Amino acid sequence: MAPFVTRREALGGAAAALVLASCGGDPPPSNGPRPGSGAALLGSLLALERAVEAAYGTCEEVLSGPALREARAIRDQERAHATRLENLIRRLGDDPPPGRSPAEYARTFPRLRSPEDALRFAEQLEERQVRAYLEALAELPDLALRGAAAEIAADEGMHLGAVRVLQRLPVAQGPFVTGAL
Amino acid sequence: MAGGPDVDLLEDLLTLEHRLLSAYEDALRGDVIEPGLGELLRDQEAAHVQALLRTLRGRGSRSPQASVPAHELTAALREPAAFATYALKIERQAVAAYRGAVARISDSSLRQALGSILACEAAHEVALRDSLGERLVVD
Repeated sequence: MAPFVTRREALGGAAAALVLASCGGDPPPSNGPRPGSGAALLGSLLALERAVEAAYGTCEEVLSGPALREARAIRDQERAHATRLENLIRRLGDDPPPGRSPAEYARTFPRLRSPEDALRFAEQLEERQVRAYLEALAELPDLALRGAAAEIAADEGMHLGAVRVLQRLPVAQGPFVTGAL
Repeated sequence: MAGGPDVDLLEDLLTLEHRLLSAYEDALRGDVIEPGLGELLRDQEAAHVQALLRTLRGRGSRSPQASVPAHELTAALREPAAFATYALKIERQAVAAYRGAVARISDSSLRQALGSILACEAAHEVALRDSLGERLVVD
């Protein structure tokens, strides 16, 4: 018997594939910054931000009304995060990795048939972004870089809450979004 | 000396969490928050309090308790919109405090866990804005 996969699981798998694709294909950082500066980690976060920004563009095709308005606001903020990360990478003496074309990103996205699909996909993406920034907080060596990561992590927590509210879910699944003390 | 700068940061966060917890408890008692939302927020703040207390106890802290309720809270308990506005303000303060603490805390193992609370408090702001009929995502 073929294994049963729910639509939510399928979208979650697509989100995971997107994360892998966003991290695997960009060229490695150039030879500018010293090892351990955090530039490589910021480059990974940047690749994820760009992929998520592109994913919201796909989500917007099936959204309307307030959900579309909020998705556009989130997309604008993801773009601003990407710009901020590019600037931080440059300040560390590196060149930001080049992004991909919209068509390349689109190949990694699932087919979104409804607003529900889009919001579930967005939720999976935001969970992965929150996790990525929290992991970065543990690893980034510099106070200013951690400050920037914390600010963006708070934005991603807001985005995650928003896409859950738009699905009429409790705003936060638990008291610790991706871990606990 | 109790435990250094990390303990000071954790104690400050605990004070804020106590304030949030008291606010939601009072709002539920005063019927100025929708019960489902109020219970969710109260329970999550209570979990944050317990987690911070556990962490502080392991570091020899005196574990500060909640401060006296602010006059501002008493005024906010008169009606739901006033309470949501007040709660949104103290959630914003909590998010700002966690952002600073998460970056500054020296124990890297704590940063990720505190960051998970930061993300949760940011989501709480969304719920409160929703209850006020405001946009969910703001700059």
